[in-house]
Amino acid sequence: MATEVDPTTAPAEMSGGSRPLPDDELVRMLHVLKLCRYFDERMEALYRQGRLPGAIYSGRGQEGTHVGVTWALRADDSLFPTHRDLTAQLTKGLDLKRVMAQFWGRIDGYTRGRDGNSHIGDWQGNKTFTVMSHLPIAYPVAVGAALAYKLKGEPNVALAICGDGSTSNGRWHEAINTSAIHRLPVVWVVNNNQFAYSTPNALEFPIPTIAERSVAYGIPGVRVDGGDVLEVFEAARAAIERARAGDGPTLIESVSLRWRGHAGHDPAKYMPDELLQDYMANHDPVRNLEDFLLAEGVVTENDVDALMERVEAEFEQGYEYALASPFPEPADATKGLWVEDGYWTSEPGRAGGTEA
Amino acid sequence: MATTVKLDAGAAGHGAEPRGKRDDDGQATYLIAIAEALWEEMERDERVYMLGEDIGAYGGAFKVTEGFLDRFGSGRVIDTPIAEETIVGMAVGSAMEGLRPVAEFQYADFMSSGFDSIATVLGRYHYRSGVPLPVVLRGPSGGYVRASSFHSVNPEPWFAYGGGIKIVAPAFPADAKGLMKSAVRDDNPVLYLEHKWIYRRIKETVPTDPDFLVPIGEAAVKREGTDVSIITSGALVHKSLEAAENLAQRGVSAEVVDLRTIVPIDEETVLNSIAKTSRALVVSESYRFVGIGAEVGATIAEKAFEHLDAPVTRLSPPNMPVPFSPTLEDAFLPQVADIERAVEELSAW
Ligand SMILES: Cc1ncc(C[n+]2csc(CCOP(=O)(O)OP(=O)(O)O)c2C)c(N)n1
Repeated sequence: MATEVDPTTAPAEMSGGSRPLPDDELVRMLHVLKLCRYFDERMEALYRQGRLPGAIYSGRGQEGTHVGVTWALRADDSLFPTHRDLTAQLTKGLDLKRVMAQFWGRIDGYTRGRDGNSHIGDWQGNKTFTVMSHLPIAYPVAVGAALAYKLKGEPNVALAICGDGSTSNGRWHEAINTSAIHRLPVVWVVNNNQFAYSTPNALEFPIPTIAERSVAYGIPGVRVDGGDVLEVFEAARAAIERARAGDGPTLIESVSLRWRGHAGHDPAKYMPDELLQDYMANHDPVRNLEDFLLAEGVVTENDVDALMERVEAEFEQGYEYALASPFPEPADATKGLWVEDGYWTSEPGRAGGTEA
Repeated sequence: MATTVKLDAGAAGHGAEPRGKRDDDGQATYLIAIAEALWEEMERDERVYMLGEDIGAYGGAFKVTEGFLDRFGSGRVIDTPIAEETIVGMAVGSAMEGLRPVAEFQYADFMSSGFDSIATVLGRYHYRSGVPLPVVLRGPSGGYVRASSFHSVNPEPWFAYGGGIKIVAPAFPADAKGLMKSAVRDDNPVLYLEHKWIYRRIKETVPTDPDFLVPIGEAAVKREGTDVSIITSGALVHKSLEAAENLAQRGVSAEVVDLRTIVPIDEETVLNSIAKTSRALVVSESYRFVGIGAEVGATIAEKAFEHLDAPVTRLSPPNMPVPFSPTLEDAFLPQVADIERAVEELSAW
């Protein structure tokens, strides 16, 4: 059955006050959280200045969900994210420099300029599905990866993420139902940031929680506080272990709030201000972990400052790398549709230049 | 040479009776040929597995997979719920992990229920990621069996449009076998359309060599002629051959080109035929407006203009649901007499 989520996130009570990971891992986790937050803020600023082409989908405020669930995966486990979940992909191991090259349409981006922004993935390297817009289209694909693990007797797990609004779509049901029938090694994560574009939860589903839908599939469902990355991590770890042990899927609903508009163009005037203020003040997953680690003596203020300097330098390096990377060659636009033309198994042309 | 067996296909073309075996002289129906190809490919490569509705103990709605469960087990012959988006998604995800899935659609009509997974994921994933998806989607398509609107569709234009998916539609048992084996061995997604009117009607000698392949992307001239080229596929190949035979008795020589593959289309064989006859009749069971016939006709008009002695002519049904009543379905779908009439009109130019 679904468990109830903590109404507030008091840092001192994070993860029940205990440390579920070794200290060095907790510090690495804080680094990823801060890097992704900083990336999100800086990219939005560049977008607003007109210096970033295409679109951006901010995941700010939801990093606890993204980092928490992904942290519990092994390298060989696969991740099936959406447009909102770039932080999860960075946590899984995507190289920030190549991610930024993708945003600027460059050849060194993971899709070689064939797609932009968070419509990214790195199956060959980090086992992440190249994001597609149609929601939640990766859910059925995750069933297939999990089926392959079961058929081949491999100890891997697939983990898929989608938003609260995506749960209204028929294939969300199809995928969970099918995975439950075959007890497949998959974990279903719903990043409930309370809004689907402008539509609030109440107009997407008529029940109090998404987690309780698990009952209808005969699988466990848990509801966790996305403001508490360690609580999310522990729930994901338990679900992943369960899947790996052959006991089938779990549904995890992680609750947070989307702090920014649906995409860069959306001022989100529909967002109630008190709600936003409450979440930014009381459910900030990045600050919560920082405060917790400071209170526990795992890091000092100086450590945090050094971490921030490192994050800023990483962003600058990524930015320089992206702008120095050439554009794809126009003549390559039609290559790579079919396997046999060899485009994806050879080095791409790099004469596209860097002026656009 | 292929022989036509006058079998009553029963309601909606179903064949609840057993799939049957090859004759002693090596002749096999189209249905048997498809099953043989799948069987041999599953024997050859353990990464190949099947999934779909009622394909296990029941053996599939048309009995293509009869006996497979006993031989290959429930780990390689997987019954799914009625969830087409997820059937395709499962095929994709397992292909990403190195398997080679063959997914059965109970009818090709229900490919529309999995449309997004087919058009959006299957067709567009490799171009953006470089991850090969060796997936075969197969299912019975087409009309002429009194199956009406929801069991007679020719879905090839829906999926030809988006790109990224090869589409084959064989008309003969040997081609069906060789193309299925090529489809399973292809590293790209392949949509394999089995014409349900042909399943138990057409028989011929089918090769037994386990590596007998018919290449994807090659059309075949099934009857040589000099006056008019009939470019067609599926059930209409057989109707065109019958028309050509009748026309020959009246002194008109029609060549019949069986496309066999819809994507990528074999322009060379088509254009060579036009160069020879100077007249093109494109006969297609997919609808007239934006159908496969429209595309083939446009290609001929664009690339064989200097050879043409008459306007490129199309024969295909209107963009409407296929009706049930025998008089309506016969009026709606191209018939042998329609083909004969169109060829005679063309040869008068
Ligand atoms: C099938 C489909 N319909 C519409 C859209 C357009 N769209 C993009 S994001 C979005 C809202 C998604 O809400 P939710 O699932 O809650 O995820 P979030 O963006 O909040 O993370 C919509 C409607 C889409 N991507 N896919």
